[in-house]
Amino acid sequence: MNSPLRVRLRSVAMSALLGAAVMGAFATTGRADEDVFGYVKSAEPLPKGAVEVTQWFTRRADKGTGHYSALDSKTELEYGFTDKFSGEIALLGQSIDTSGIMIDAYVPGDKKYGMKFSGIEGSVKYNFLSAAKDPVGLSTYFAMQFLTLDPTSGQDKDTWSSEVKLLLQKFFFDDQLIVAFNGGIESTIAKRKPIDGLPPDFEWPTDPEVEIEFIGALGASYRFAPNWSVGAELLYEEEHETAVGQERWTIQAGPNVHFAARQWWATFTWLPQIKGGGSPYPGQTDTDLHLIEKTKEELRLKIGYNF
Amino acid sequence: MSTHDDWVRFLAVPVAVFSAAGAVHATQYLSAEQAQKLMFGASAQFERRSLKLEKDVARDIEKFSGVKVRFLDVPVWQVSDNGKPAGYFFVDEVYGKHEFITYAVALDADGRVRHVEILDYRETYGYQVREAAWRAQFVGKSFADPLKFDADIQNISGATLSCRHITEGVKRILAIHDRMLKKAQP
Repeated sequence: MNSPLRVRLRSVAMSALLGAAVMGAFATTGRADEDVFGYVKSAEPLPKGAVEVTQWFTRRADKGTGHYSALDSKTELEYGFTDKFSGEIALLGQSIDTSGIMIDAYVPGDKKYGMKFSGIEGSVKYNFLSAAKDPVGLSTYFAMQFLTLDPTSGQDKDTWSSEVKLLLQKFFFDDQLIVAFNGGIESTIAKRKPIDGLPPDFEWPTDPEVEIEFIGALGASYRFAPNWSVGAELLYEEEHETAVGQERWTIQAGPNVHFAARQWWATFTWLPQIKGGGSPYPGQTDTDLHLIEKTKEELRLKIGYNF
Repeated sequence: MSTHDDWVRFLAVPVAVFSAAGAVHATQYLSAEQAQKLMFGASAQFERRSLKLEKDVARDIEKFSGVKVRFLDVPVWQVSDNGKPAGYFFVDEVYGKHEFITYAVALDADGRVRHVEILDYRETYGYQVREAAWRAQFVGKSFADPLKFDADIQNISGATLSCRHITEGVKRILAIHDRMLKKAQP
């Protein structure tokens, strides 16, 4: 019989094997500029004139009831305008498969579709201090995003977000160990599209909603051999909404592995939710997690290529 | 089969393609032998020395240079020209950002840097350390000089980690010469 733990471990193991195969496929004797973290941002910008394309896949799964699985895609093009200033644009996509879950105001019913366009994103990063020669690396990061699909329900929903972050980074042990910290705020205004055929008592607000989210992220990555690094990341998110005040908070944490070759690099992160709070959905049994807008499991694979 | 099983299979396609693409090799600019001739001239003679650092010596060198001594066996050649001591030739490795940079340092008979050459460079960025103008900053430096990065050795923006590590590496070479070779010179 497949116990939930065995299913969870098998899913992580299969994803990790795929991630390792991707990394091994790109094995060369060189090195590229890259993200050693899946979720935490480093303070280092791209060098002037550098061009990097990165493909992200993020799998979100398991709300503790029914079936829930979503795959987010982000195809990102980043350019180093100067040695201190870089910018990025990205196309976003989403696929979702959810059934047997109905949560008032959040998940109105079953939804299933393959990967499709879900939005665009643009960001800039400016480096004030270099981790390579100053006591600490310090950059600021600003991003704007427009989504056409709701990441939670998969339904049509227009969301405009802006995000500002402070990025800190420091090297230790001959630069073999990288420690990075991000602190930031994201503000969002969203508007759901109406849905026909919902039960009369089901709440599905279509008025604009405004949210503000506080984000903290901490990561460490250690290069234990040429080309290879392992590390860990922690992500804290706390969201406040006009209607309910603090809507949710979550702590996610987990390991990552990073491989870099001369032109290519890949980072694989397993970041399950460790603890969370805010309103549970009716009948939620995992009461120490927030499972309305977040899931139990997250896996992220990033593959980058430098031109 | 679920939507996500489709995506797992989709990722297998580029994995298979790039697995078959073959390896891309690091760029070797000079062999050690080529660097020896370049740095000391065609008539110079090179005698390989066996130089093994004791752990306490390695610790002192780490403390002075600020960089780890990764290998206790140091590849060094004693150089003579027309029968007279001409200096020493070292081959060393430091990390760029994530891969080793192999470089050579030539010291003259007084223990001053005569020349620095990059032998192998494996990174996509930071290759500006190969520029002759940057490497020329080390010429004439001795153990007595600070070799302070971003001070008497200027940085190249966009190649900071490579610049800093090579600076630390040359400082380590000068410390090794001062502790292990200077007193032994004929």
